[in-house]
Formats: sequence, structure tokens, C-alpha cells
Amino acid sequence: MVAALTRRFGDLDTAEEAAAEAFATAVERWPAEGVPPNPGAWLTTTASRKAIDRIRRESRRADKHREARLVYGEPPEPAGAIDDDRLRLIFTCCHPALAMDARVALTLRMVGGLTVPEIARAFLASETAMGQRITRAKAKIKAARIPYRVPAAEDLPARVSAVLAVLFLVFNEGYLATGPGTDPVRHDLTAEAIRLTRLIRDLLPDDGEAAGLLALMLLTEARRPARISAGGELVALDEQDRGAWDVTLIAEGHRLVRERLAAAAAGAAPGRYQILAAINAVHTSARDFRDTDWSQVLALYDRLVRLDASPVIALNRAIALAEIDGPEAALAAVDRLAGPLAGYHAYHATRADLLRRLGRGRDARLAYDRAIGLAGNTAETAHLTRRRDRLG
Amino acid sequence: MRYLVSVIHDQASLATAEEQAAIEVFNERLQDEGNWVFAGGLAFPGAATVVDNRGEDTLVTDGPFLESKEYLAGFWIIEAPNADVALRLAAEGSKACNRKIEVRPFL
Repeated sequence: MVAALTRRFGDLDTAEEAAAEAFATAVERWPAEGVPPNPGAWLTTTASRKAIDRIRRESRRADKHREARLVYGEPPEPAGAIDDDRLRLIFTCCHPALAMDARVALTLRMVGGLTVPEIARAFLASETAMGQRITRAKAKIKAARIPYRVPAAEDLPARVSAVLAVLFLVFNEGYLATGPGTDPVRHDLTAEAIRLTRLIRDLLPDDGEAAGLLALMLLTEARRPARISAGGELVALDEQDRGAWDVTLIAEGHRLVRERLAAAAAGAAPGRYQILAAINAVHTSARDFRDTDWSQVLALYDRLVRLDASPVIALNRAIALAEIDGPEAALAAVDRLAGPLAGYHAYHATRADLLRRLGRGRDARLAYDRAIGLAGNTAETAHLTRRRDRLG
Repeated sequence: MRYLVSVIHDQASLATAEEQAAIEVFNERLQDEGNWVFAGGLAFPGAATVVDNRGEDTLVTDGPFLESKEYLAGFWIIEAPNADVALRLAAEGSKACNRKIEVRPFL
């Protein structure tokens, strides 16, 4: 076990201490909670988590490098008991009988190894409230006997999509972090989401949506270096320095999208993550914003709308429509979404942008004001404020 | 592991003949597969009486202890190895009786 841990963490001290801590935890918990079905795997998983905790505690800087390695894929480990155990753990943490916010917190804590204060900060909750949320979820798992296992085949598709939904939420919170005091991009959360999605993808290689979500995350993460200016302002897709995009992540994302396109050609109907990944593949294939294949983007959004008629997707479709049929047609489409999206900052930001392009400065200003009032991300607020103030 | 599977309903209507037939089929399956403990339908909440004998006098009150639009219309007690099995059976039960269901483990 120490050998496996050493291979994973590259440090014998960390491995030994983590193993010792895992045994201590077992001594404390097994008499009360019973011996788990696979004690060896349990110990290894627990020790891995202890090691991750230790690395996080001991060295933030070295940790950043390790995290970077995790994003780019860990060196391959022999599959087996460890992976099976982690997979079981993810499915337990993302069980549909738990509330969504509890699933997210529990996954980050138990699978991701984040501390309670870290999770509390990410979701703007107090440490006490977050601790209680996790404790309550664990108590429900125990009392209702939510099993620690990979679900039966007939439940698997629904359960995998529940896991992917949690990971997507974690990623999005990292990519557009909310709160006045937080970094605009929480790299720790995006990295963790990518790492866990990669794990699901490796363990369920035939699941198209797992591949799609991983591709979507990689292609989004690839643009991160260009997304926030030196002044801490969000940079929109049309103004990003595409030379700063991460070519390695883009190449891997494109490879996954091509794999799913081949599967679709063979008759597999793509789900929403695969379509979103394909849209991002179109964007990341264009050398310049003007070179974007908008008809392709619009066609993909049309497919997505058929799959998921949510107003947020209709809003994003309208942004693509503006590049083909012009801002006037797009504005008409956006205005039809006023009812469901009145409280959504991106609705007002999109309207503001279209109104600006139509030369309706006064209306644009009002829309920017609404968007700024609703946006929770510091970099986005800065970006919207600049666009508004440039109206003159 | 035993679970209480409560049937929740919000209208003053009993199961239709069709629903009753589907419930029978489901009950037989529970029995055949060893998940059956007990089940029963309940009279309307208006038929309930609350009794409180914690003090000196026995207090008897007409009506249910909780007044709400939704009420307990019936229940199953099932035996299941874990929550996944219990929830799958509950989903089938909900389909059979055509009502919403709460699953709650016994201690």
C-alpha cells in the first residue's frame, strides 16, 4: 500500500504518514461501523485522501504543480481495487437520494479531499453550515443504507448522469466563481472537477457523456489563461489572445470530440455535454474570432435546443444567431426570453451587447446596469462596467 | 433492513379499480421476491383521532395530528438490502398506485 501511495504521490514520507493515519482511522471506525467489504482498498483510499490533505496543508506552491499534473492526467496507475473503490465512493456521494448541494459538498470532501473550510469558501457558506451539511448527508447514507457500490446496470445511465451533473456544477463554480472576496477563477475547483471527470471517463470509457463532459471541461479550461486580463477583468471570447490558449488541453479535447463524432456517425445519439463540447471545439478551432464557423455553432445549438429546451440554451443560441442573421434578429430572440431570464445577469449582458451593436446606447446602458447589478463574479462585473463606460 | 414506504395523496379519492389491480400485482411481486413485510390502505384523515395520555387526563381530539393538504393514504413496509433496492421498489409502487411515495428507513 505504501508503495502504491509512493508511486502516486512521489514521496515516501507522505505515503508512510498517510498509511499510518489511515490505519489509525480504521482502528477508530471499524469497530463502530463494521469492516468495509474491501478493507485493503478502503485503507488505500483513505490513505490517499490523507496524503492529499497533507500535501494541501504542507505546501501550497508545490501543490499547484501537483494540481497542474492532475489536470493534465496522472501517470497511469494499474487499474484495480483503488479505482473501483474511488468509483464506488463517487456514486455514493452523488446518490440521487441526497440533496444536490449535499452531493457536491460530499464529493469534494470524500473524493476530492478538499477540507470543509475550502468547500465552505467555494460555496459561500459558513464552515459550520457546510460541516453540518456534510454530516447530515453522511448520516443519511448510513441510516437509509445508501450502498457503497457501483449501481446495477439498469440504474447506471441515470446514476452516471447524476455524477456528471455534480462534476459540471463543481467545474462551473470554479470557472466563474461567485462572491466579492473570491478569485474570479477558482483553479482548485476546475482542476478537481477535471480530475474526477477524467476518472469517470477512464472507468467508463464507453460512456459518451463522460467523454463529452471531459472534452467540454478541457476546452473551457484551455482558454483560462486568456480569460482574465492583467487588471483582473473578464475578457470575452472575441477579445481573447488566442495565442495564450493551452494547446495541449485543446488537442486532447479535440481528440475526445472526434471520438464522439465517430460514435455519432455510427448511430450513437449525442447528449448535451457532447454537443456543448462540439460547440467549444468549433470555437477553439478558429484562429481568430472572425474565422469562427458560426453556421456550425448554430446547427449544434439547434440540436441542443431539441434535447434541452431551457431558456439559457436559447440565450446562447441567440448569441450565435447574431453572428449569422445580425443583432436585430438575435435581439428579437433574446427578448422572447424576458420572462424566465429576467433575474439572470447573462440575459441582460447579452441584450446590452446586442443593443450596443444596434447603436441603441441609452437602452444598452440600462441593460448593462441590470447585468452589473446581478453579476456575482468580480471579473465579469469589471468587464461589464468597462463596456458600459465605453458607450460614452 | 426495513423501510416504510408511505403513499402520499392530496385528494379525497380512493384508488380506482385499475390502480387497485396494479397494486395487487405489485404486492404479489413483493411477496414472491421476499420484499414483503406488511401493507395497508388507510381511511381518510377525517377518521383519525389523536390521543394524548402523557398528563393526568387522557386528552382525546378529533382529527389528524397534522392538518395538511397532503396526507398519508397508505403504506408498505418492505424488506430491502439497501437504499437502491428500496428506491427501485418504491418507484414501481408509485407507478402501481399512481401516487407520490416517501421512503424512510426504520432505525
